[in-house]
Amino acid sequence: MSWQGELNKYLASAYKNWVISKRNVFTLFELFFWPLVNLLSIGLLTRFLMVDESMVSFLLVGSIALTILQVAQMDVAYVLLFDMWSKSIKHTFIAPIRSRHLIFGSLFFGIMRGSVVFAILASISFYLFDFRFQAGGLIPPLIFLAGVFSMAAIIGITVCISILTFGQKADVAAWSLSGLILLFSGIYYPVDVLPFFLQVLARAIPLTYFLEYYRSIFIPGPHHLVVGLSLAALYLLLGLILFDRATRRARRTGILLWLSE
Amino acid sequence: MSEKSVQARGICKSYKSLFGSAKTVLEGISLDIDREEIFGLLGPNGSGKTTLISIFSTLIYPEKGSLSILGLNARRDRGEIRKIINISTAKPNFPWSLTVRENLVHYGMLYGLYGLGLNRTVEDQIDAFELGEYRDVKFENLSTGLKQRLSLAKAMLNHPRLLFLDEPTTGLDPDMSAKTHDLIRRIHDEEGISVIMSTHYMPEAELLCDRIAFLRKGRVAALDTPQNLKNHLELGKSVKITYRGLANLDALRALEGVLAVRGNPGIVDGQIDRQLDILMDGNEDSLDRILKSFQDAKILDINIEEPDLEDVFLELAR
Repeated sequence: MSWQGELNKYLASAYKNWVISKRNVFTLFELFFWPLVNLLSIGLLTRFLMVDESMVSFLLVGSIALTILQVAQMDVAYVLLFDMWSKSIKHTFIAPIRSRHLIFGSLFFGIMRGSVVFAILASISFYLFDFRFQAGGLIPPLIFLAGVFSMAAIIGITVCISILTFGQKADVAAWSLSGLILLFSGIYYPVDVLPFFLQVLARAIPLTYFLEYYRSIFIPGPHHLVVGLSLAALYLLLGLILFDRATRRARRTGILLWLSE
Repeated sequence: MSEKSVQARGICKSYKSLFGSAKTVLEGISLDIDREEIFGLLGPNGSGKTTLISIFSTLIYPEKGSLSILGLNARRDRGEIRKIINISTAKPNFPWSLTVRENLVHYGMLYGLYGLGLNRTVEDQIDAFELGEYRDVKFENLSTGLKQRLSLAKAMLNHPRLLFLDEPTTGLDPDMSAKTHDLIRRIHDEEGISVIMSTHYMPEAELLCDRIAFLRKGRVAALDTPQNLKNHLELGKSVKITYRGLANLDALRALEGVLAVRGNPGIVDGQIDRQLDILMDGNEDSLDRILKSFQDAKILDINIEEPDLEDVFLELAR
């Protein structure tokens, strides 16, 4: 097959997500309303508590990270959720594609949407709360975004694996996994405040390291970016392998057939 | 020897519940299906038709058995097989908010079509299945018939060599069913595509299928051409006679070749007449003997009916 044909297999998921998103009024809520509500709430809280500039940056980085994470991870999860809701999943899995086509195609669209959200939130943060996202140059925010998007891919893949393993009930995972990440990866607080066993868990989440890295631009301190990158790469690889295994299992158990009926 | 679209040996499948109990759906299915035939899978609900088509189309895997699709090993060459087959299903479902054209573009992309080739193929299928008027209508707003046509159009996007049709006319009105039959026949005859279809409708199977496999409780209960199935089962012919006068029913029942006699009194032109429904074997002499037993009566009407697949289905499903 030509490279254009191969590329289109990836872009098929992005195309489907794009068409569905542009017709869905809730997309506006996902892209603008909830991110703004979240950002303004946190920003105004920093004003009320009269925290210093570095602490404003600390909290706004967390708020922006969480919002982008939620938007992008949903796009990856949507690749199967839309098929499951419309009972068309069998047509996707009869086509000559592999899991990487589905994941990276939908992640591409998630990155597009997440980048738009980041641009909006970073601009508003600058004008309203004097948060300068490019304080350390353009490389740190790009690395930070790459880290958040890789984390979104990992969560999205986990949701897809849940759908292929548990069927209809699994869409709950789509909405709750980012909440757990919020709790354990230090979105609004340093992970040092967590009980020890939760700190161990936090250190196993790549986002923890990406947050520490980006925050170190505003509040100088140590970070372990390499550990975060390594963990993200490991989890992504593991996620793709497990996604393939979950697909094979779903073909063996017949879940792919039931999800279409 | 003719090339096979499907060669299946000892296909078994069961579904396991979360608590470990298993429900057997297919038990040792073995079939050889020729490339040039339209092959039908018939059977009552729960007989395993959809599961078998899902296994043939590589959507799900069998537990046991060997399977070859168009000469390719279904275990080893799944990727290659998926490039040259496609499926259209009963009660077709596609992403709701995508239009007819967008759905075709999306699935075309999944099959690796791109650029002008993608656009041309999509437009060709829209034309072939008379969907032009509805190209910008969202899937959720299409009628059942149009959804079925879209499903067939999607199934033709990759120009498959083997097409699976799972109950292709379920939910369609008679006119749309007839059009779908024409489409299936055209796809097979003009484009040389092998077709394997499941159906509930016996006339449809009789009209389209070269051979039929009757599935019952996950096994092949019968496999042959529609005509041979009717002949081999010796279901007999139905002779409906309306007569006036006397006929000895006891003697009629005792005649060689008469399988059953059912009578219905009726009134014709104010006189009492009788109607009899006589089930006889396929022997020509039997009809002669039956008619001779009415020599003291006046036959007003006679109608001889061949058994149809419906009768075969009922016999085999028993």
